Amino acid sequence: MISIEHISKRFPGVLALADVTLAIAAGELHAVVGENGAGKSTLMKILSGVITDYEGELRLRDKLVHFLGTHDAEAAGISIIHQELNLVEQLSAAANIFLGREKRKFLGFRDDRAMEKAAGELLVQLECHVSPRQLVRELRVGDQQLIEIAKALSLETDILIMDEPTSALTESEVARLFRVIDRLRQRGVTILYISHKMDEVFRLADRITVLRDGRLVKTLPRKDTNAREVTHLMVGREIESVDLGGQRQPGEVVLEVRNLSLPWTGHARAWRLRDISFQLRRREILGIAGLMGAGRTELLECLFGSSPELPQGRILLDGQEVKFTHPAEARRAGVALVTEDRKRLGLFAQMTVGANITICTLAETVRAGLLSRRRERRLAESIVSKLNVRTSGIESAITSLSGGNQQKTIIGRWLLTKPKVLLLDDPTRGVDVGAKAELYRLMNTLCGEGLGIIVTSSELPELLTLCDRILVLCEGRLTGEFTRQEATEQRIMEAATQRSS
Amino acid sequence: MAAVPLPSEKGPNLLWRALQRTEVGMLLAIVVVLVLTATIDSQHNYWNNPKDSAVEIIRQTSMLGIFALGAGIVIIVGGIDLSTGSVIAFSGSVCATFMLLLAPDEMRFNKPVGLTTISLAIAGTLLTGFLIGTLHTWLITIVELPPFVATLATLVGLRSLARALVGHVNQGSSQIPIFDKQFRYLATSVWIPATVFLLLAFLTWLLMSRSVVGRHLYALGGNEAAAKLSGVRTDRLKWLAYCMGAVLSSIAGIFYAGAVGTASPETMGKGYELNAIAAAVVGGCSLKGGVGTIPGTVLGTLFLQIVIDGVAKIIKVTADIYEGLIVGGVVVVAVAFTQLRQAARQGKRFFPGWLGITAIVTLALLAGVLAMLFVEKTTGGGNKIGGIVAVAALVLLGTAWLLESRRDKRAGS
Repeated sequence: MISIEHISKRFPGVLALADVTLAIAAGELHAVVGENGAGKSTLMKILSGVITDYEGELRLRDKLVHFLGTHDAEAAGISIIHQELNLVEQLSAAANIFLGREKRKFLGFRDDRAMEKAAGELLVQLECHVSPRQLVRELRVGDQQLIEIAKALSLETDILIMDEPTSALTESEVARLFRVIDRLRQRGVTILYISHKMDEVFRLADRITVLRDGRLVKTLPRKDTNAREVTHLMVGREIESVDLGGQRQPGEVVLEVRNLSLPWTGHARAWRLRDISFQLRRREILGIAGLMGAGRTELLECLFGSSPELPQGRILLDGQEVKFTHPAEARRAGVALVTEDRKRLGLFAQMTVGANITICTLAETVRAGLLSRRRERRLAESIVSKLNVRTSGIESAITSLSGGNQQKTIIGRWLLTKPKVLLLDDPTRGVDVGAKAELYRLMNTLCGEGLGIIVTSSELPELLTLCDRILVLCEGRLTGEFTRQEATEQRIMEAATQRSS
Repeated sequence: MAAVPLPSEKGPNLLWRALQRTEVGMLLAIVVVLVLTATIDSQHNYWNNPKDSAVEIIRQTSMLGIFALGAGIVIIVGGIDLSTGSVIAFSGSVCATFMLLLAPDEMRFNKPVGLTTISLAIAGTLLTGFLIGTLHTWLITIVELPPFVATLATLVGLRSLARALVGHVNQGSSQIPIFDKQFRYLATSVWIPATVFLLLAFLTWLLMSRSVVGRHLYALGGNEAAAKLSGVRTDRLKWLAYCMGAVLSSIAGIFYAGAVGTASPETMGKGYELNAIAAAVVGGCSLKGGVGTIPGTVLGTLFLQIVIDGVAKIIKVTADIYEGLIVGGVVVVAVAFTQLRQAARQGKRFFPGWLGITAIVTLALLAGVLAMLFVEKTTGGGNKIGGIVAVAALVLLGTAWLLESRRDKRAGS
């Protein structure tokens, strides 16, 4: 169906793809895996017409093609669903689905009713219970993603490229997506599936291609391989399964939360968080599980003073009651938060790696009232070496680092503040397998040094590996608390999906 | 992208890297324009009166530079201040009003008002600047108006308020004349504005690039949400930035009032905000925020002023008429310069499709009209020249268009 022959792509300073040759059969679901920077997105951009100048040849249905843009690719039957959704939030679902190809009535007027009807039918096929008139910005991420898929389907393409489609979905939404994919395959649609997640890949794929550093390492039928082998090929080295936490001995209570509640004005549920109470000890990793919208991020925001509304209840740090109204107060008291969306909320894209690291602790680099470059450099370099951040130097742009290294930079930034409590909101999102293991080891080490760590995550296996205890939130309430021995995926999922009576 | 940098990019020649910096490019551009003006100018002003020319340029640059610093700071923080010109008018009026109220007889009858009065008036004006900055900050951070809207409101409001104020204290007159020699000396001597400007530039440079507050200001401009989450007091920093902008404009207002000898709120500083923003942008500040330097802004101001002065010398009319055109042109070229360089390297198409063709026609017409105006001023018989230039431009750009199309067709096949 698709034949990729000796394709290479060079960007200034980087060789993104080197001589990749790959053939994709009609109707198959072909998974493409690789670490960040392996070249997966670049390859997909070439296939979908986003990148138009490259070396090598592309054949579609045995004919040589060269797309001049995304329209060309769409016309040829290829459409792509990006990892970052490309929807216009101020428009309705139907408007987004037909964006650029609006249906018209006589005299060229827009035929909204026809579009809404067609959109409605597509959404039903995708099990999406959203009105086609609803504005996209009011929808949950899971539904937004289905709108993107509906958009691709409305094009009636027979080749669909999906780039990390489940990164922002809940478990039930993922299951729904898989059902949709199964139905698409029955229709004969060829699907290219990019993902980090081995369980998804092994559930869905017919064949798996591994890319590494811009080269194709191997293409294997799914039946002939397993997750360990694929991970090994992706990374080029063995990933020891991280065995952590066995030796951790939790110390005294460093953080205590009593009856924390966060009102939700104007919403049916009335409370984002309701009556949450728990303790965190030093040298302990506490995990917080729950579906999207359960309140995990909001809880961390309350502990850090960055919640838009002030919470009720009591928070005690080392026995002293605290009421944070601004992150600056939290930082001074020794609480640190690494947010879940590092691009939007964590990184200063125009600044260097060094500046990103020292931003919270500049006061320590001051000499005679002015910043001392030397002291700043020393601070930054100490973090780069301690956390093993892979970069060509602290003067390089932060945007030149991979996701995992950017995450380490931000964690390092907060480590410099010598926190008592470290809050991590989904720290391994968008981070590849090798870097994830490094982050787990880092958290373990930090714990050993006396920090108390709270981690949220959507990946249950991750929480089960890392945490001494796991709290489960469901719709703002604390519905479960498990120790490492008690916790199983089953029990956590049950607590996370409990319907309050 | 796991960027493994290719060898050619690592460890370049220090000189080459220095040449790439905006500031060096600016300096070169300034030198080039100076040389051009000196040669093309038929009266050879620069050759014959180097001291006078330099003094005039230094004075104008200093006065523009003082409030361009303010514009730069606000832009770096990610905001925008459209009210600068009106703050200049308001401040000049307030200064004159203070002097009128403190020493009414001296002001009316052309007697010296005394240093105390002047000092008090200046202090009062600076305080006014601080209050205006506070108003801006309150509107932007608490009422949550976009900076564009908040400063647009003061742009129109302050000038009108100044006019009303002046009318109220000066028996309905639309201006307040200032005869006091000491006050006027402040502005007519070139050394005082220049020293004040350099001192302010040095202090703001220290603040922006060598202090904790400065780094936090850059962080705020680069990513406000991330800055807040890193413990930066974003609202307080915005207060600082907008107040600095307004106070610097007030200082400029005092100088302009002294230079002209009248506080006339209807005309003082009209349109100056755009020159300030242009100077900051040409000097490397990005309107998105988080990018830009004080030295860059200073050089941008100097460059802008030299270009305006140069064209005035060459065309030999008062600079005012063509100033807008020049500033517009310089901003487009300067800001686009770096982008154009890179785009040209990557083979960007500058005149694609119908948009490109229409743009070619527009640019050719513009060239023709400019040529006609320019030539008429110097020799006469402009219309024919204008037409010729327009056709020439059309041919030139049309050829570029043809070359681009042919290159694209070759690449596509």
